[in-house]
Amino acid sequence: MSHGSTAKPIAAIVGAGRTKFGELWYDNPEKLLFEAGLQCMQSVDKGINRTQLQAAYFGSFLYQSTNKIGLIPGHMSKELGLNIPISMTEAACASGGSALYNACVSIRSGLHDIVFVGGFEKMTDRANLISDDLMFAADPNEVNAGYTFPGLYATMMARYMYDYGKGNEDCGDAMAMVAVKNHHHAMPNENAQFRREFTVDAIKNSSIVAHPVRLLHCSPVTDGASALIITTPEKAKEFTDDPIYIMSSQQATDAISLYSRESLTSVKTTKLAVGAAMKEANVTYDDIKIAEVHDCFTVEEVMFLEDSGFYKTGEGWKGVYESYESGKGSKHIPYLNEGKELIVNPGGGLKADGHPVGATGIRQVQECWAQLRGEAGGQQVDGDIDTALAHNIGGTGAICTAHILRRNI
Amino acid sequence: MSEPISRRKSLVDYRITASKCQDCGSVYFPPKSFCDVEGRASSMASVDYFYEQGEFYSGSIISAPTSHFKYLDNYLTGVAQFGNVKLPGRITDHIPGQSDDINKYIGRLIIPRFRRTYADGHDGLVYYSSLNFSFADEYYPLQEYVEIQPSKEIEKPGIVGYGAYIPKYRIKNDGKGILGVTERTLPFADEDTTTFSVEAGKRALIHAGLNSSYVKKCFVGSESPTYAVKPIMATVSQVLELGEKFEDGFFSGGVDTQFACKAATDLFIDAAALVNFPAFGGEHVMVIGADNSQAAPGDALDYTVGAGATAYIFGRRDVIATLDHYVAYTSDTPDFYRREGQKYPRHGGRFTGQPAYFKHVLTATNRLLEKADMKPKDIDYAIGHSPNGVFPQRALSRVGFTKEQIEPGLVARKIGNLYSGSCPTSLAGVLDIAMPGDTILMSAYGSGAGSDAYIFTVTDQILEKRERTIPLMDQVESPHREYVDYTFYRKMKDSV
Repeated sequence: MSHGSTAKPIAAIVGAGRTKFGELWYDNPEKLLFEAGLQCMQSVDKGINRTQLQAAYFGSFLYQSTNKIGLIPGHMSKELGLNIPISMTEAACASGGSALYNACVSIRSGLHDIVFVGGFEKMTDRANLISDDLMFAADPNEVNAGYTFPGLYATMMARYMYDYGKGNEDCGDAMAMVAVKNHHHAMPNENAQFRREFTVDAIKNSSIVAHPVRLLHCSPVTDGASALIITTPEKAKEFTDDPIYIMSSQQATDAISLYSRESLTSVKTTKLAVGAAMKEANVTYDDIKIAEVHDCFTVEEVMFLEDSGFYKTGEGWKGVYESYESGKGSKHIPYLNEGKELIVNPGGGLKADGHPVGATGIRQVQECWAQLRGEAGGQQVDGDIDTALAHNIGGTGAICTAHILRRNI
Repeated sequence: MSEPISRRKSLVDYRITASKCQDCGSVYFPPKSFCDVEGRASSMASVDYFYEQGEFYSGSIISAPTSHFKYLDNYLTGVAQFGNVKLPGRITDHIPGQSDDINKYIGRLIIPRFRRTYADGHDGLVYYSSLNFSFADEYYPLQEYVEIQPSKEIEKPGIVGYGAYIPKYRIKNDGKGILGVTERTLPFADEDTTTFSVEAGKRALIHAGLNSSYVKKCFVGSESPTYAVKPIMATVSQVLELGEKFEDGFFSGGVDTQFACKAATDLFIDAAALVNFPAFGGEHVMVIGADNSQAAPGDALDYTVGAGATAYIFGRRDVIATLDHYVAYTSDTPDFYRREGQKYPRHGGRFTGQPAYFKHVLTATNRLLEKADMKPKDIDYAIGHSPNGVFPQRALSRVGFTKEQIEPGLVARKIGNLYSGSCPTSLAGVLDIAMPGDTILMSAYGSGAGSDAYIFTVTDQILEKRERTIPLMDQVESPHREYVDYTFYRKMKDSV
């Protein structure tokens, strides 16, 4: 495939793996990570030995509060049987993306050539208190205002619908269509937590969690882990003839508090991180055909479409609505805009595949890796795709990582 | 959130303290030491929004709350806009429908209210904040706090300002009422004696137009204190900034008192004495009577108790009512009590009534008139402690007062027995309508037992300050009051 980009890759993915997502009752967090890691090692076409790993970066959010464990480097040293440098990243739901960002820094700097990256979360063990635990990723004043995470996103959604929907019911339908589309995408995904179709009415009539957010606007509480092995672009072909290159790795941060932000209807860190990633990779939406987007709540996917430049500000919901109406029934329902097509969350996204928060950022890249190699199984996107974007958000947008991957350089 | 973080946060949240860049005008909440725009060279000034009005910017109706907020069920929380700063906060005194259209809330004006955030169980700390907002077009009107330069003239000690607060929620008694009480106030789930006290104190400061740093002592009388050990007055002083500020605290003192229903009125004479005492070093004392009156479910009291508070500021400048005469009468009478650790008070045998209330109120009132060399006809308004709507009328009639003199103070019929807040609130209702030169007799009663009887004379100042009150009867008859059933009532009572 041809493309106009002259950018050089910063790293390459030579292996990727993941567990099933869902309520994984019998597995401890480190066991999940071990399982994803093993699958990742076994996915390396030409083989890799664990002793070749020079460092490891892990992402997780709630292990200390929910699972009452700490010192993950020690746990993972024990599992791997290695004494290499291991770092832990906590950035709420962007813990996985941030671990990959750190791993890329390590590769870019020349410090390491072969790095293991993992993300994990075991949330269902404390399902009754998980709403409390998740609020560690919110501002204390938001905690004391009685907020929950659905409540915070509901505040964004309410203002978005007020400013841009202006009473048009289609805007509310668009918020539901994101969920319908992602559940539809997850149907063939054997690892997905929810393989079940929903109608727009079913989403709009599901139980209220934090009005206007309803249960089926929300991503679920999930257990799961995911893993990658990244190397320098130069070493990649020692492990596979089909590496997936990381063309850009960017991260941006903003105030943890929603109320301190410039806008409640867009996410500044998405604009900054995705904008920088596109610039670094020298790509546009003419090149990017699939995107793994952080759809923790459906409004976040709508905002991404605007913040990343696919749709104009305030018009994302219209694009979602019109794209859904013209694409429903097909295997994947792409977003359409002026001749451009973008398939978002081809495996179901956080909404249907599941959202074990620390694992999500890595799982998104694993999905892109599989899609670009044509190995995504039932959810494989039709046609020849070359470039993918992974977008991972922490909190209500306090942090965002963006990675752009490419098969052919 | 850890307890130390919560404590440090309270110093910001009680007043909604922010910082404002003196160069570019950017405002930061919580306060920052430097401006993001101007950098570390920026000059930052402290501002607060305690007396301000904002607007509801966006929010959500929370139906599946975190564990600390389960006591509220459904509630509206959101982001508020105050000037050019946004703040997070919960809407209080409002129970939204689970699927109310949020659009109908966006843009509505809101006012900060000092309310309970949550409590760490029954034996942990109780956390408060002013990041709770009521809608300005509902029960609470906005009151502007304008400091008035005190007069240079020193007068006879008396009341320089007062503020009465009764909650929005009411429960009706069937038919003609029980013991004359037809309806009563009850707290919202996030209210307690501490929040009542702050609200009443805030209104008193607004009414007096007084710089809060001039208030050097605060007494809070209550028989339903939030803590068995930890004074409400310290919270009141911190929130209302009573006394000269120094570091995180204030140069002022005070104490919480208990003497059943006369815990506050007993301190009126002490407050008036203090402002006249040179070594005190201050000119103003605040006295608050506040109660979420407790009664065991199904007990006779459970049909007469109310909730609310009234605060008085005593001083010697710009006095609206001078304190002219005082008599107290006390005897060890076991009519009503609550043992340490018990949730509800109990009556002691058959002591309530003649040997307790009537004996003490009548003795004190008669002695007071005798001491003042006055007859009932010399008094314009007569107020008695109101455990119900019958006792004060019966007692004061025996002294010789007429229905016309007694009726204006019989607010208990519509708000219930406010325990320590009872007489102070009745007095507020009378002060709302009294004219210069009027005389007011007030005979408080506290079980255990004792009665304080006072005579006040209203001055010209009352008219000048009247526009700065929220009259008690406006609250009693507010079109925004909400009636609830007994199940809701018990839930609110037990929530506190």
